Amino acid sequence: METDRSAADTAAREHRILTRMLADCDDLCRSGDMLLSAQYRHLRGRIAALVELTIPLREAEPDA
Amino acid sequence: MIGRAQGRSHVAAPAAPFADSARLAQLAALSRDELEALQLRRLRRQLARLAQSSPYHRRRLEAARIAPDALASLEIFRARFPLSTKADFLADQAEHPPFGQRLGIPREQVALVNMTGGTSGQGQEIYGRSQHDIHLQGYLHALPWFLAGLRPGDVAVNCVPAGGMTTGGWGPGEGLRIVGATAFHIGGTLSTDAKIDLMLRIGDIHFIYASTNYLHTLTEALLRRGLEPRRAFPAMRTLFIAAEGYPLEWAERIETLWDCRLQEGYGSTQCAGFGASTCADGVFGRAGGRGLMHMFEWETLFEVVHPTSLEPVSSGETGELVVTNLAIEGSPVVRFRTGDAVRFVSHRDAASGRTWNAIECGTVGRFDDMLKIRGNNVWPSAVDAAVFSFAEVAEYAGRVYTSPDGKTEVEVRIAFTEGAASLDEASRERLREAVRGTIKERTNVWMTVVVCARDQLPEFNYKARRWKDERQQGYRL
Repeated sequence: METDRSAADTAAREHRILTRMLADCDDLCRSGDMLLSAQYRHLRGRIAALVELTIPLREAEPDA
Repeated sequence: MIGRAQGRSHVAAPAAPFADSARLAQLAALSRDELEALQLRRLRRQLARLAQSSPYHRRRLEAARIAPDALASLEIFRARFPLSTKADFLADQAEHPPFGQRLGIPREQVALVNMTGGTSGQGQEIYGRSQHDIHLQGYLHALPWFLAGLRPGDVAVNCVPAGGMTTGGWGPGEGLRIVGATAFHIGGTLSTDAKIDLMLRIGDIHFIYASTNYLHTLTEALLRRGLEPRRAFPAMRTLFIAAEGYPLEWAERIETLWDCRLQEGYGSTQCAGFGASTCADGVFGRAGGRGLMHMFEWETLFEVVHPTSLEPVSSGETGELVVTNLAIEGSPVVRFRTGDAVRFVSHRDAASGRTWNAIECGTVGRFDDMLKIRGNNVWPSAVDAAVFSFAEVAEYAGRVYTSPDGKTEVEVRIAFTEGAASLDEASRERLREAVRGTIKERTNVWMTVVVCARDQLPEFNYKARRWKDERQQGYRL
C-alpha cells in the first residue's frame, strides 16, 4: 500500500511537471520565428501526448 | 491440447513489464470499478472536445441526447450513442472532402495522413492525425512491445513495410523510437535472403515484428539455408506477430525453432495502433490451448456486440468489436463498428490478475468476407468487380494458400463464356493477362490467374461462395 501511494505520488509529480512544460511550450509556439515555432509545435504535440499518458488513474489522485 | 503448459519449459520467461514500469503496475492494479471510472472521465472529456470541434460527432451527441459533462455512465453512452460504420465515414468524407466533419482538429494541425487500404471496393477511410496523435500512435505500438519484453537499447527488426499511407507503416517506427530500441526497418526493402544476410551481420537481435505470414516465410527461409534460428540469433527474446491467424501447432514449432516466446497483438487504424496484446504471456493459455490478448482499455473503449442484435456478447462468445478512442484527437472514432470478429473473454475469466478484458489469440476474423492478403485487406467483392468487368468471363473461384516455400499465394481460376472459349490461344492469353492486371489494380495484390473449363467451377444457386482460405493448412515447418 505504501509502495502504491509512493508510485501514485511520483506519477502525479511527473504529470504536474509535464503540464508545466506544456504551458511553457504553448509560450514557445507563439514565437515569431516560423521555422522555430513549427518545431515547438512538434515538441508541444509530444508533451501533450505525455500529459495524456500520465493522467492520474484515480479521480482522487491529485491532477495537475 | 497444445501449449506451453505441456512441458515446453525450454522457452525462456520474458521480462517482467509490471516490475519494470510503475505506471503499468498501477494500471494492472486498478479494480474494474476504478478502470471504468477512468474510462468515463476520459470519455466525457473526449466527447466534450468533439461537441465543440466536430459537427459529425456533435450531431450524434445531439441524437443521443448526451451532454458530455453530465454523462453519468458508460452504460448510457453504449445504449444511446449511435454506432458509426465505414459507410458513414465515407459519406462524411464525400460530403466534406478530404477528411469529413469527423476530423475534430483544424486541418492545419493535421501532421500525418493515414488511409485504410481501399480494397473493399467501397472506398478508403481517411484519418488526419495531429502531432499529439503521432506520439500516441507510437505509444500504442511501444506499449504491447514493452509488455512483450522489448527494452531500451534492444535491437529490433521491423519486417512490416514502413511509410506510405497506412497506420501500420508509421506506428512501428514511432513505437521503436519511443521505447529507445535500435531499429532496422527491413520490411519491403529487401528480399528475404537479403534480410537474413543483414540480420546475420547485425548479430544480437532481441525482437522481431512481422505479420504471421512473414514470420513463417523468414523462418522457412532460414531453415532452407541450413540455419537454425535459435543458434543464428541466440539473443532473440520476442517474436511479435499481428494481422493473421495461425494454428497452435505452428506457434509451438516457431517457439521451439527460435527458443523464445511468440507474442501477438490486435491493432487497426481505428485503434490508432494496437488495442490489445498478449502482454508477456505469449500466445498459449496457461492451461494449454489459445492464449489471450488483453485490451488496453484505458486508451480505447471496447465493446464486443452481437453483429445483428448489437447486444453485448457474453464471455466466451464471438462478436463484433466496436471501438471508441479516448485520447486520439484527429479523426477519432466513437462507437465504430470494425467488422472484426473476436472471441471475447471477460476479465473475470481471463485470470490474468488484471481487470482488463481480453480477446482470444490467433482467431480474429471478419464478419464480412474480407481476406487479409500480404498486408492488404481484400474483399471478394473487389475481385468480383475486377473479374466480371470482362464480359468474356463466365465464372471464377479463388483460393488463398501457403506455398511450399511459405509464401501467401492466391490462385484465381477463371472460366470463359462459350463465345470466348472459342477464341484463339493468343487472344485468350491476352485476356487472362488483362484480368490479372485488373485484379491487381483493384486489390493491390498480384494473383495467379489460371484458365479452366466452365464445368470445373461450381454453380451458385444462392450466395456465391467463390473463395477458400487454406493458409492455415500450409503453416508447416
